[in-house]
Amino acid sequence: MPATSHSRFLDLRALAALEQMRFTTRHRIEGAYTGRHASRQLGGSGEFVDYREYSPGEDLRRLDWKVFARTGKAYIRLFQDETNLVCTLALDNSGSMEFGARSETDLTGSKLEYAQFLATALSHVISRSLDQVGLAVLTNTLTEVIPPGVTSSHIARVQERIESLKTTPTVNMAEGLKRLFEQGRQRGVLLLMSDFLMEDLEDVFAALRLFRHRQSEVIILHLVHPAEERLPDGSAFCFRGLEQEGEINCSPTEIRALYQKRFARHLDTVRTFSLSNGCDYRRISTAVPYVTTLSGFLVDRTG
Amino acid sequence: MFYHPWAIVAGAFAAGLPVLVHLLTRPRPVRFPLSTLRFVLEIVQQRRARHRLRDILILTLRTLAVLFLALAMARPFWGRSDAVQTDENAQLIRVVVLDVSQSMAAVVHGIQTFERARPLAAQRLEYRNGMRVNLILAGARSQPVFEQPSTNFAALRDALTGAKPLPQELDVTQVLPLAAEMLAQGDPEAKRELIIISDFQRTNWATADFSAVSGDVQIELESVASEEVPTNLTVLRVATQGRPEPGRETRIEVEIGNYSPSPRTVRTEVTLGATVLQLSGVCGPYSKATLTGEVLISQLGWLLGSARLLDVTDSLSEDNVRSCVVYVRPPPKFALLSRQSATEKPASSYFLERALAPSQGVNSAGDATTGKDAAGSQLVTRLNPANLDSELLAGADLIVLDHPGRLSAPVINQLAGLLRRGRGILYVAAEAADASNLQQLLELTKESIRLPVEFVPPAKAQTRRNLFLTEMRREQSPFRLFGDDLASLIAPIRVSGGLETRNVEGALEDDVLAQLSDRSAFLVAATSDSGALMVLNADLGLSNLSGSPLFVPMLGELVQRLLGSEQAVREVASGKPFTVALPSEVDALNELQIVPPALPTQDAQSTGNGSLVRESAGVLWKGEAAGPPGVYRVTRRNADVFALATAVPAGESDLRALSAEVFQDRLAAGRQIRFHAARGQADEERDTLWSWLAVGCLVCFMCEFLTLKILRT
Repeated sequence: MPATSHSRFLDLRALAALEQMRFTTRHRIEGAYTGRHASRQLGGSGEFVDYREYSPGEDLRRLDWKVFARTGKAYIRLFQDETNLVCTLALDNSGSMEFGARSETDLTGSKLEYAQFLATALSHVISRSLDQVGLAVLTNTLTEVIPPGVTSSHIARVQERIESLKTTPTVNMAEGLKRLFEQGRQRGVLLLMSDFLMEDLEDVFAALRLFRHRQSEVIILHLVHPAEERLPDGSAFCFRGLEQEGEINCSPTEIRALYQKRFARHLDTVRTFSLSNGCDYRRISTAVPYVTTLSGFLVDRTG
Repeated sequence: MFYHPWAIVAGAFAAGLPVLVHLLTRPRPVRFPLSTLRFVLEIVQQRRARHRLRDILILTLRTLAVLFLALAMARPFWGRSDAVQTDENAQLIRVVVLDVSQSMAAVVHGIQTFERARPLAAQRLEYRNGMRVNLILAGARSQPVFEQPSTNFAALRDALTGAKPLPQELDVTQVLPLAAEMLAQGDPEAKRELIIISDFQRTNWATADFSAVSGDVQIELESVASEEVPTNLTVLRVATQGRPEPGRETRIEVEIGNYSPSPRTVRTEVTLGATVLQLSGVCGPYSKATLTGEVLISQLGWLLGSARLLDVTDSLSEDNVRSCVVYVRPPPKFALLSRQSATEKPASSYFLERALAPSQGVNSAGDATTGKDAAGSQLVTRLNPANLDSELLAGADLIVLDHPGRLSAPVINQLAGLLRRGRGILYVAAEAADASNLQQLLELTKESIRLPVEFVPPAKAQTRRNLFLTEMRREQSPFRLFGDDLASLIAPIRVSGGLETRNVEGALEDDVLAQLSDRSAFLVAATSDSGALMVLNADLGLSNLSGSPLFVPMLGELVQRLLGSEQAVREVASGKPFTVALPSEVDALNELQIVPPALPTQDAQSTGNGSLVRESAGVLWKGEAAGPPGVYRVTRRNADVFALATAVPAGESDLRALSAEVFQDRLAAGRQIRFHAARGQADEERDTLWSWLAVGCLVCFMCEFLTLKILRT
């Protein structure tokens, strides 16, 4: 299905190396259409799985007549149903995603730009397998939702929306996730890209637990900018918060060690929360090209 | 209170300097957007909580260190309190007496004594509700700033700021009554306080009499004298020995005072006209030494000069030079008043005449005879009192009376006038009439001359014969000249004739230079600011004194002493009122001009010159206060007709101070006097406060270092 998007973040030549790769999931999912992924439903076609005694009212077309003839007992044949994948790309659109940008107007090099490249590429890869792709933009609330779809025009719309993202100062993201949970009904895949620099981290994972209770698969892509891991060199800096937290004058030299410890603890916290809630966690450094990151991600998913 | 209050300002500046440097050199922070500001805030707050204690400690220690350093430099002293402890609104009249005499210019440990006194006085002049205050600058003439205690504190402080030590002696007898008069003014219910800030020299304050101050006045003495007595060398006196005459070598005497605990070798440069002479010698501790030298004087008239100590470093440099004036006269002329004939031999007057002019030939002509020696340098004029030539008498340098008989009133008046104007008189008392003459003469000059004995005619039944000399002032002229030979020289002398003497109560016994075996006075001297009178109590015709080898040199010494007494009037004390009679040949005021010395301040020249007035006794030079040390001249057509040196009295050079006990036990006369020695032993102990502050500063720095080590980041 050819894509018709003109997003600047869609580099088909770079993605050509991933042509044979597919986004898969190890979980049984629910889809709207027939597809390549194992469905949670055991249907009447597909690969034979098991027998089950007939219950009155069941579809007689699934009755194994040969067994009934031999044994006089009625058994229903069960087959594994296959369906398509419904994936929602949830993007953190908070101000902290702007970190690494050249300037306030030029977001080149920022975490958001990296997320835009990666999300666009993922939407392309997923849609190529005829799976459905949706988009959710998260700030303090659920800013925008594009329901999952598979058509080329839908994918183009998703990609264009990704391209047009502008950050908004955000300190809480749990509310947006709850809204997204309430709006969705299907047990698909939620792929959350964020730096998790928010105040309600526990609430965020509480909201993600809702998705897990629904048997959806939750994939956490934790974006980390290398400049975040250690403070810049110098004796006097005026640090300005990207979430409108104000400014503070300090000497990075004096607090560098403490800062690095604090940031490492933050990374561990996110990872621990993710794994303990049954999410698939992957830390992504923006220093690694997004194609490499995507390739490794897909390979790991394929197993 | 602080010795150096300016150090407080410097300390405040020093305390602010690190802050200023920090602000000026503070790096401009780089603005940097950060997504993890939350973490930075957490860390900064955590770190701030941890280091707040350290920062507070370091700031406190640094501030304390700077403060301690500034306070140590300011040299605080404590323990002061006002004499009168009154409530804030109580009426108080305060008089502050500040010593501005010469001794206050002494420099001890690099600080002038007066500069130690000034802040103390300033503190006493600070505003206080209900207080009226006055400031008296005490020197030779005490000068109050206001006529009565005032509330104009600013003007008093201005006067204090402009005050400085003056080349004068402190006149305690004047300042205490003046202060008492000030304190007697105003509200009778008010508390009264007298504060005296001085170095309390023993030479000035030993005679202080606080009885003039009312008993209800609280007296507080603030001493700024150093505990360690300052060393000082001074020129106390410059004089010629005898009568300087042209063509003769004259002995110059320079008296040096050593006010230090160790002997000092002193060198003095004496300048007299164009002659420069260097004298040297050793002066013992706390004693005086007289350096002498011979100079050949070649000209007549007034010679101006000075004596200066060379290579001397002491506390008071102002008294290391002393001006002097020497009047070089022609050889002296003697007037011999006697009724005896010049040809009568042997007679008392004959012996006198021969002794006065040993080489003089006698050329008698009637009652008055004149004669010259071969050199023509000396002259004895014999005058008959009954037919006295007043001009000849006035022209004599020394008047000798021997057997003059009963003198007439005009003659005695003239003799008294000449005596007052510095003329010397040698009276040989031999007859009963002499007692009457002396009594009349002393009656006319009683204000300036007082003899220690009264001469009375001997009783008729009592004959004065073959008396011998018993007691003599061997250390004084004329007997000093004979040294150890004096006893052998006086042993054969037998004195006959003369008058009985009675001691005068309260007179100075030292003026009796020799006594006879009947306890009567043989030789009596009385010297005043003007002339001198000596009485030789003997009839030379009846005594064998004239035949003694002692007679001529003794008479020569007496003559030199009488002639030399004229030198005394050539120096007056700076700051004191003075009246000096000009020589008798200066009889008119026309074209007379007073020429002061070249002084640095015009003010000093204009106030210390005095004025010339014509009075019955002749031309007088009067002044309210003699000017600063130097030589003041009176000229006529650019020629000197008189000269006068002013100097600070020698007492100002002795910087030893009276102790508190002397004031409280002896001078207080039973009243309560608070004595506070700013530099006393107690204050020395209190003055160690600055060193403790310095130690505190050091401890603060050490504590800061330890704090940084313990609470390091």
